[in-house]
Amino acid sequence: MSSRRPTCGETMTTGARALKPRALVVRRHHLLVRISHWLTIPLLLGLILSGISIYWASPIYQHDPNPTTGSFDPFADAGIWICAHIPWLHHYADPANWVYNHGSLGPYMLAFALRFHWLCAYLFMLNGLVYLAGLCSGGGWRSLLPRLSDARGVLQMARYYLGLPYVILARRQPIHPNFRTKYNPLQRLAYFAVAVAGFLAVATGWAIHKPAQLSWLTGIFGGFDNARVWHFWLMGFFLVFVIPHVVLVIADGWDTLRSMITGWSKKFKRSEVSDHEL
Amino acid sequence: MSFKQIGAEEKSTRRSALLKKFQGAFSERPIEPIEVEPSILRRWTRRDLLLFGAGTLATLVVGGSQLPRNVLQRLGLDQGGTTGPENKWLLNQALRLDDDVSTALYSQHHLVPTYTKSQITPLKNNYNGATPDPAYIPGWRLTLDGLSSGLTVSLDIEALLARHQLHDQITRLVCVEGWSAIAWWSGLRFDDLLHAYPPVSQAKWAHIESSVNLDANGNPDPYFVSIDLLTAQHSQTLLATHLNGKPLPVEHGAPLRLLVPMKLGLKNIKAITRITYTKDEPPDYWAKRGYSRYDGI
Repeated sequence: MSSRRPTCGETMTTGARALKPRALVVRRHHLLVRISHWLTIPLLLGLILSGISIYWASPIYQHDPNPTTGSFDPFADAGIWICAHIPWLHHYADPANWVYNHGSLGPYMLAFALRFHWLCAYLFMLNGLVYLAGLCSGGGWRSLLPRLSDARGVLQMARYYLGLPYVILARRQPIHPNFRTKYNPLQRLAYFAVAVAGFLAVATGWAIHKPAQLSWLTGIFGGFDNARVWHFWLMGFFLVFVIPHVVLVIADGWDTLRSMITGWSKKFKRSEVSDHEL
Repeated sequence: MSFKQIGAEEKSTRRSALLKKFQGAFSERPIEPIEVEPSILRRWTRRDLLLFGAGTLATLVVGGSQLPRNVLQRLGLDQGGTTGPENKWLLNQALRLDDDVSTALYSQHHLVPTYTKSQITPLKNNYNGATPDPAYIPGWRLTLDGLSSGLTVSLDIEALLARHQLHDQITRLVCVEGWSAIAWWSGLRFDDLLHAYPPVSQAKWAHIESSVNLDANGNPDPYFVSIDLLTAQHSQTLLATHLNGKPLPVEHGAPLRLLVPMKLGLKNIKAITRITYTKDEPPDYWAKRGYSRYDGI
């Protein structure tokens, strides 16, 4: 993407006046960061859908068989409860597998799910490297490193969001805390945590995949069974992250969403531009 | 001010300058706004949105092409009426890549973790179909084929136990389904059998069969696995005869089963009746059903 500094007195071929009103934009996201960001969506979706199908084959969380339903899996219990309580699902053919049918590739799909999971996993790892390359090339990594001084800012932002429902209901004006950096401290912590979670999800995945040849790695996570638990809850973390992320991106407006596609934004603070000490 | 004080001041300013430089390397750079004509911005936006849309479409098509048929049917996207084996090129490539990675990670000298007797966990009967009737056990014999002598050898359990030293190991059995169990196995090393009855020189594989295996309805469903000889020669690959100190019960593959802890449980074939050494990779029961061939962990 090239941009020219305007030179005064330039004439256009149409003969229009040389000086047109120009817009000021700032670069926000490197091309590789943008590409890897969007590719994460189908890859993570594929990993989770196939992952839950794999989970179905031997759930981590099981209880003694329920005397009525015979179910030993809390997800099966949830499916049975849902079908029993939602009117149009009363005659659903397979209540115990409702959750798996709607949140994964389905039950009885282990061989397929494993292959699909590994395809998505290798691409996910490649995607992670692309992301790191983009962070380094664009210098964006500096905006992601959390600092000790962030602690205060994180609490400020947390208090802001916790108070938001009241402020909206009371028709007061919400006052967003002001920060001079690209991301506010809570944002920075969240984005950094997602990157760390991605790395850990890959590490725990390998720990489960190769418990004999990479036994040292499996050991770091407390053994084979614990590595499975880590892997499962890291998936949960991604799910918990995605909802506020999407809501806040939409709430922030089209320019923010567009900046992750085009790489530039028209919104920036004077304080980001001027020289400052950090 | 004394010279000492001036020196101390210089030192502290130098230190804080270094600290500022260090912190500066990690701190955000001031951003530089660029002036662009709005028409150019609109052009860039249009171009990038089109590229984004094209990329989304391509991803949906490629990703969707690899989804299993019944998922597509459930989503109402299947053309309908397509039967027969599904050939998903990308998925097969991923499986091959993963098997190559497994093979590369395998090490002849790396030992799988071993445990103590106090760490033993219950081991469930994981026969996929019905458990075979123990009537086959008294007359059981192991047939060996593909030997360098050219003969076919038939051994009973007493011959195996008498001629070979039994080794103990307490290792983890990891099932492809995701569960695992720690059990105490005793048996002869596969490597010792290979030395006692050497395969033909070109052999690289062992085709191990269990003719007594049954399907869910109790009908014969011969089970068979392919094992590369390199893994068979590993010091922890056993032809197990005992579980937790007692002779193997029928649920765990009496009187002889394979114990190969550096592969998934499905390769640990129970109730072995025949071993044939081959040059090319022989067929494998679960590989035919869409699972990996190598199954290295």
